[in-house]
Amino acid sequence: MTGPLETGAPVLELRGVTKRFPGVVALDDVSIEVRPHEVVGLIGENGAGKSTLLKILSGVYQQDEGELLVRGAPARFRGPRDAARAGIGTVHQEQSLVGSVSVAENLLLGAEGRSVRGGFYRWSDLNARARAQLAKIGSAISPTARVNTLTFAQRQMIEVVKAISVEDLPDRTVDAEPVVVFDEPTSVLAGEDLETLFAQIERLRTRASIIFVSHRLDEVLRISDRVYVLKDGRCVAEREPGAVDTQELYRLMVGRASTGQYYREDEQGTFDSTTADADEVLGADGLSLRGRFADVSFSVRRGEVLGIAGVLGSGREDLCRAIFGAEPLDGGELRVGGKRVRFRTPADAVRAGVGYVPAERRFEGVAMGMSVAENILLADSSAVSAGPFAVPSKRAALVKQWIERLRVRTPDPGTDVATLSGGNQQKVVLAKWLSSPRLRVLVLDHPTRGLDVGAKEDVYRFVREMCGQGLAIVLLSDTLEETIALSHRVLVMRDGRVAAHFDAAPGAKPTQVDLVEQMV
Amino acid sequence: MSTVPVSSSATATPVSPAPARSPRRLIAAVPAIVLVVLVLAVATQRPAFLSATSLRTLLEGTAPLLLLALGQTFVILTGGIDLSGAVLASFGTVLLALWLPVGGPLGAAAVLLALSLAGALNGLVCAYAQIPSFVVTLGTMGLWSGVALAVSGSSTISITKGYDTIFWLRDLRVAGLPVSAIMAIGAVLLAAVLMRVLSKGRSLHAMGLAERATQMSGGRTFRLRILAFALSGLCAGLAAMVLAASQFSGAPSLADSLQLPSIAAVVVGGTVITGGIGGPLRTLVGALLVVVLRVGMSVAGVPPSFEQIVYGTVIVAAVALTLDRRRVDIVK
Amino acid sequence: MNTAVTTRATTGSPTAVPLGRRVLDAGPVLALVLLVVVFSLATSRFFTLPNAASIANQAAILLVLATGATFVILLGGVDLSIEGVMATSSLVTVLLAANDRNGNHLGYVAVLVGTAVGALFGLVNGLLHTRLKIPSFMVTLGTGAIGIGIATVLFGGQPPQLLDDGLRAWGTERIAGMPRLVIIAVAVLALGYLIQKFTRIGRYILVIGGDEQIARLAGVSVARYKLYAFVLAGTASGLAGAMASTQLGVGDVQVGSGQLFATITAVVVGGTALTGGRGGVPQTLVGVLLISVLANGLILVGIDPSIQRSVQGVVIVAAIAATAWTQRHRLRVIK
Repeated sequence: MTGPLETGAPVLELRGVTKRFPGVVALDDVSIEVRPHEVVGLIGENGAGKSTLLKILSGVYQQDEGELLVRGAPARFRGPRDAARAGIGTVHQEQSLVGSVSVAENLLLGAEGRSVRGGFYRWSDLNARARAQLAKIGSAISPTARVNTLTFAQRQMIEVVKAISVEDLPDRTVDAEPVVVFDEPTSVLAGEDLETLFAQIERLRTRASIIFVSHRLDEVLRISDRVYVLKDGRCVAEREPGAVDTQELYRLMVGRASTGQYYREDEQGTFDSTTADADEVLGADGLSLRGRFADVSFSVRRGEVLGIAGVLGSGREDLCRAIFGAEPLDGGELRVGGKRVRFRTPADAVRAGVGYVPAERRFEGVAMGMSVAENILLADSSAVSAGPFAVPSKRAALVKQWIERLRVRTPDPGTDVATLSGGNQQKVVLAKWLSSPRLRVLVLDHPTRGLDVGAKEDVYRFVREMCGQGLAIVLLSDTLEETIALSHRVLVMRDGRVAAHFDAAPGAKPTQVDLVEQMV
Repeated sequence: MSTVPVSSSATATPVSPAPARSPRRLIAAVPAIVLVVLVLAVATQRPAFLSATSLRTLLEGTAPLLLLALGQTFVILTGGIDLSGAVLASFGTVLLALWLPVGGPLGAAAVLLALSLAGALNGLVCAYAQIPSFVVTLGTMGLWSGVALAVSGSSTISITKGYDTIFWLRDLRVAGLPVSAIMAIGAVLLAAVLMRVLSKGRSLHAMGLAERATQMSGGRTFRLRILAFALSGLCAGLAAMVLAASQFSGAPSLADSLQLPSIAAVVVGGTVITGGIGGPLRTLVGALLVVVLRVGMSVAGVPPSFEQIVYGTVIVAAVALTLDRRRVDIVK
Repeated sequence: MNTAVTTRATTGSPTAVPLGRRVLDAGPVLALVLLVVVFSLATSRFFTLPNAASIANQAAILLVLATGATFVILLGGVDLSIEGVMATSSLVTVLLAANDRNGNHLGYVAVLVGTAVGALFGLVNGLLHTRLKIPSFMVTLGTGAIGIGIATVLFGGQPPQLLDDGLRAWGTERIAGMPRLVIIAVAVLALGYLIQKFTRIGRYILVIGGDEQIARLAGVSVARYKLYAFVLAGTASGLAGAMASTQLGVGDVQVGSGQLFATITAVVVGGTALTGGRGGVPQTLVGVLLISVLANGLILVGIDPSIQRSVQGVVIVAAIAATAWTQRHRLRVIK
């Protein structure tokens, strides 16, 4: 067991850590250190590598290259339990508490030890241990309270206690203060709860070292002693909050040589703003959904790409799903082709000519277990039917046409779509919508997520082609770069409202910094 | 960001069919093979089994089971289950006994309609309240069983007047086969053909395999669910007609004992309980298997009281073998 | 500066316990009180001691069954084999005790064996479910049929009569006005409550029903505790079968007829959610009383007993629909 260190030496260190996935390098030679009683902030765009880094720290992933050092000694985590035993506790985004039992039971789940003798619970003992753990952060929450009676903020406190309690594990490999990792803890907190969290972190720092990850720059800067900036899997900068301004941070986060060629910007058409309403394909006035977004208005014309930028919690995903009828709308008006519409289910939207390429490709995009051909014909087979009857020859021809046109690599149209690569599956999803003659609007929700460069290029090419044919597109993208390059106009959403509206004609594009400023 | 370029611009070069398909085809053939083996096994012990008369009797008795199993197939394809099918059929015989004397053919049509609506109600509650089908159909099983008892006064009602509306199911024969059996097999074939030729014929399969993706592609799964259960109700109605004709009466528990065998028939035929795979033709094989199994048991000298044990074991074994485990991560 | 619109508190709430949840929790008790009041007003025969004893008598076996079933339902599963297990246990018990078919007279040991048979069924159910990953309703549908089948074989065409007076007394005699079986039922209830509140088996069953994934990640042996739940349910069914035999005086395949319905209705109506993780033994007690009072009251008021089943059927669906109502969503996939 490793013991406490001399002051100043890092409690946790990553040296040259690299992690690869098929087609992409998520982390590239990243080196980071955390010193005792320090709060280290991690910032970066979506896809910068923050989440991968945290997963390596919490033992979910293992690095391909580089070292992980805990208190100076190299460590190799084969799973989350190893990380916990090494004194690294994570407060996750998704809560990991069981609502049906008490706080104490949750805190000591799997580690009841002597509080359970011969199968019988010794409640007084269990509750006393829980109370001791809760006291570490000065929480007054009762250990006997059932977790599903607690508020969200209270439950988060319990998560914090759980994270710190890694220091009490009986089989711990490191006998010292823990490292607590906060993964986007504030995305759903506000006001008083937020202040409480910050106060807790301050208290925590006297008995632990902390890593704080958030996309809310102001919060990270407020609480951290040092900040690392991640971009494209690399650690590009290390700063102290006092010695940096937000503008510089934005530039560090997103600044990139614009690769207009990659996105075929030369193929992007221009729009005359005076003919704004004439060609409107998709229009919205004051759309709202309680708790998700409010008062969103926009207009998309034939052949136009509207990009919507925003961070987690901005409401942009829910907005897009609401446009497709996958989420309800509390208020506002939605128009397709100038006509007011009301979508109770996606089926209504599809009939009105709206398509949706979902972010969750495996569950919502492709129908796993069905063939490529069946998938392509899933949304609309009216063009290849004679009344209610299928016309097999026409079906086969249509499928073949789109497989070739989108270059879907599959041995046979009858193969199970589940055997295809992610990129090819995405192409099948696109083929499904594009093969429908009544398609007028296509919503793309993170369309290039998990795709390799070649597949991405293909998607960009299709987007340009589709616009050329008069299709209107709403685009949600992982990266600002993609959003700016592909869109004619960009909407920025923050906390459920439209924060800004940019024109993005070729040659007159906003910079990423412009966008980020509005997003956070 | 350094990436590993994988060019996907090469044209799709045809390669031999993916191996994933052949094992599936093989598994689908197993029930048919077992059926043939079983028939042969029985025939060697009792050669009379293969005689025309014997086979006719076999098929005649299979009709109600086959019809109920067909209805069940529609529901199981979507991933659900209908525990109320047999009870609805029983209720149907009671209704026939009461309405045939009054309305003749109209009475029969009314019964079919009523049972289809009852089935649709199952589907509606499932889809609207979003509660599991086994709960809903467990509940409606109780509901209709109670109603059947109340309406019939807990007794059998003979059908004398009005019987001529359905007599032909029992007495009319084509090539020696009673019309009831022909109707049942015909219904199965019709269903199979429709699923093949209709543009939306595979909708139930799609729901069973990937309901969320189907929804997100514009599939009207709400209506499809109601349709599947309505078809199950309709099949229960047809089964009721056949039963009423062969028994000359209606009784509140007449078809109840067919519930388990009908599920067995579907599952043993190769339609997967999680949905999406299988169909009416497989159910035909399954129903024949169940019936031949019964004959086989008596030929082998197994007392009829063992029937339930056999059905139970067969169901569990068939489900265990055909279950698509990849798609079930949390089993409740 | 725009005020934030997003309040994505998924399952939390600003106040400690939302009003809606409180109403839901208190619902069954209120319903019970309501029923008692309504029936007392409707007929004078309801609110009497002999009637209470009659209700208790009917409720005794149901209580035993429902207590066992609660553990499986808390997991999110279901046990449909109740009637089959009762049947087999009933035949086994009677055939081992003093009866008119053979020379056995094992007395109380017969009851023990009958109960153990139930436990065995539970074990099989649990193993098939956890090892082969077959949904619990499917497994128990099958084993229930097997149970009926075994009982049918043992039955042999004529019900074996139970001749053991000691055992018969349990089914027919009373102590202080209350049927003896009620005492057993109360003991089982107490045991069930003990298990749920104080033992690892009970607590882990609640955890697994609440969130199986989290349980697994915490290192809980999920399969093992699921197995325990089914064994508990099976044991209860076995005991109930023996109890029913002492009441009827015979071993019968139909001994559990109608109990499956009543049991599931009682558990669900009492407040234990079919999805698991919510509810428990005390709630089941309320549910059992509700069902028994309802059944008794309806008969006293003169309603056709066959309607009983219909009412129970509707009640099951309504109760589950009510508890699951808030989770409805456009795209929710429920099979």
